[in-house]
Amino acid sequence: MDYSSLLILAVEEGEASSAELLLPAWPELVAGIIAFAIVYFFVWRWVWPNMSKTMEARQAAIAGEVTAAEKAKEEAESLVSDYKARLADAKTEGNSIVEEARQTAEQMRTDIIAKAEADAEQIRAKAREDAAGEKARALADAKSQVGSISVDLAEKIVGESLDAQAHQDLINRYLSDLEKL
Amino acid sequence: MDVILAFSCNPQEQPLCIPDSILELFELPVLFGSVNRTMVYIILAALVVVAALYFAYRKPRVVPTKFGLAVESMVDFVRNDIALGVIGPGGEKYGPYLLSLFMFILVGNFFGLTPFINFPIGSRMAIPGFLALVTYVIFVFVGFKKQGLAYLGETLWPPGVPVALRPLIGVIELVSIFIVRPFSLAVRLFANLVAGHTMLALLLGSGVYFVWTAANGDISFLKGFVVGPLWFVFGMAIFLLEILVLTLQAYIFTLLSAVYIESSLNPAH
Amino acid sequence: MDALMILAQEGAGLTGNVGSGLAAIGYGLGAIGPGIGVGIVAGNAVQAMARQPEVAGMLRTNMFIGMALSEALALIGFVVFFLAG
Repeated sequence: MDYSSLLILAVEEGEASSAELLLPAWPELVAGIIAFAIVYFFVWRWVWPNMSKTMEARQAAIAGEVTAAEKAKEEAESLVSDYKARLADAKTEGNSIVEEARQTAEQMRTDIIAKAEADAEQIRAKAREDAAGEKARALADAKSQVGSISVDLAEKIVGESLDAQAHQDLINRYLSDLEKL
Repeated sequence: MDVILAFSCNPQEQPLCIPDSILELFELPVLFGSVNRTMVYIILAALVVVAALYFAYRKPRVVPTKFGLAVESMVDFVRNDIALGVIGPGGEKYGPYLLSLFMFILVGNFFGLTPFINFPIGSRMAIPGFLALVTYVIFVFVGFKKQGLAYLGETLWPPGVPVALRPLIGVIELVSIFIVRPFSLAVRLFANLVAGHTMLALLLGSGVYFVWTAANGDISFLKGFVVGPLWFVFGMAIFLLEILVLTLQAYIFTLLSAVYIESSLNPAH
Repeated sequence: MDALMILAQEGAGLTGNVGSGLAAIGYGLGAIGPGIGVGIVAGNAVQAMARQPEVAGMLRTNMFIGMALSEALALIGFVVFFLAG
């Protein structure tokens, strides 16, 4: 079988020449113009604007996501710093409370001690005073009793004729000498 | 088999029809009036492009669907790599044209590999011819609009050319820019598609033909059932190659359109 | 020239004419130059990209421009093949 006849171009009289292949057929040209016009019009009027719309939507979505992420990050950071600040506050507050309590306790202790000391001092002073008063009274009692007793004793010893006044002076002098001792 | 070869004959007598001329591989049957199947495919290609773009960009999605991602990557490629990458910041304006060019050519090319269609619409001169003409009109128009009549001078006599060489350079540039550019743009796509389609038809058709004739006892069993599948496998390898070629041709057509427009915008280099 | 004519007749097979066979040969010859040219352009571009990957985008664009220029000759050959066929 002669396969080359597929490619060999029979140019006989009156038959179509292969050069015809090089010339556009008018009906097909018209169809091509219509088809390309449809495609171009569609692309120009519809695809191109829609494409930029799609790209804008995508850009907006990405930008929105980025800003949202940034916002979330900022929020998280502020939250963390907030917590940190609060934690630090709580720590210092705790410290100050402990310190205050310690100080109060210290204050209380010193107050109590001071008060106790003062009380003790007071009690001691009162006791001393009482003792002194008692001693003085006892001395005075003793003084007067010693005088009268000595007078009585002397009366009894020397008899009744004795000048009471003169003796009294003598006794007083003796007693004051005694006191000086 | 008329599906593969895209033309029909009586399948009872022959497994496939050997065309008298290569023309018959590219002239599809007329459906009615002057409308043939090629025209239907041309309109279908436009509708496929429109539908693909419509479903990809129906609503502005933040996370695109898989299909949307595929279309979007193509659109982004044309926009960023071709329109903005080649033309520069002013390329946004030509983005829609380049995108529709790329998508239309790509879909039209892949019709050549699509089962039950099997016909690349770019293999009819009308399509690449028209598209190259549009690019030609755009880059010439842009050149005159941007630079006025200086466009001709700048293009035909690039600065720095010695005076003695100017007539020669002028003629060469005139031919290369205003004649060869649109011509080669159109013929490159056309030639690649014609060659690819012919090659596929020939190889796959040969495979089927060998097996069929051997089954009918016209040639020896060994010849038919060994050589036929080999042809078919070779055809399938070419099929894979065609995937690459068709994509590359759509890219090259779009890229060169962008390059030509850019050369009209910035004549300095 | 005789050898070429024989090749063309062989290529044209039984049904075709000599002109189409010659056209096929002509296209094959015409594709040699652009093939080498495109290969050189692509090879050097790849080398340059390997050396400086940071300008790969610009290099790729320039590579395609250069390829387009040298490929134009092959495309003209393709068209001439059809015109002659």
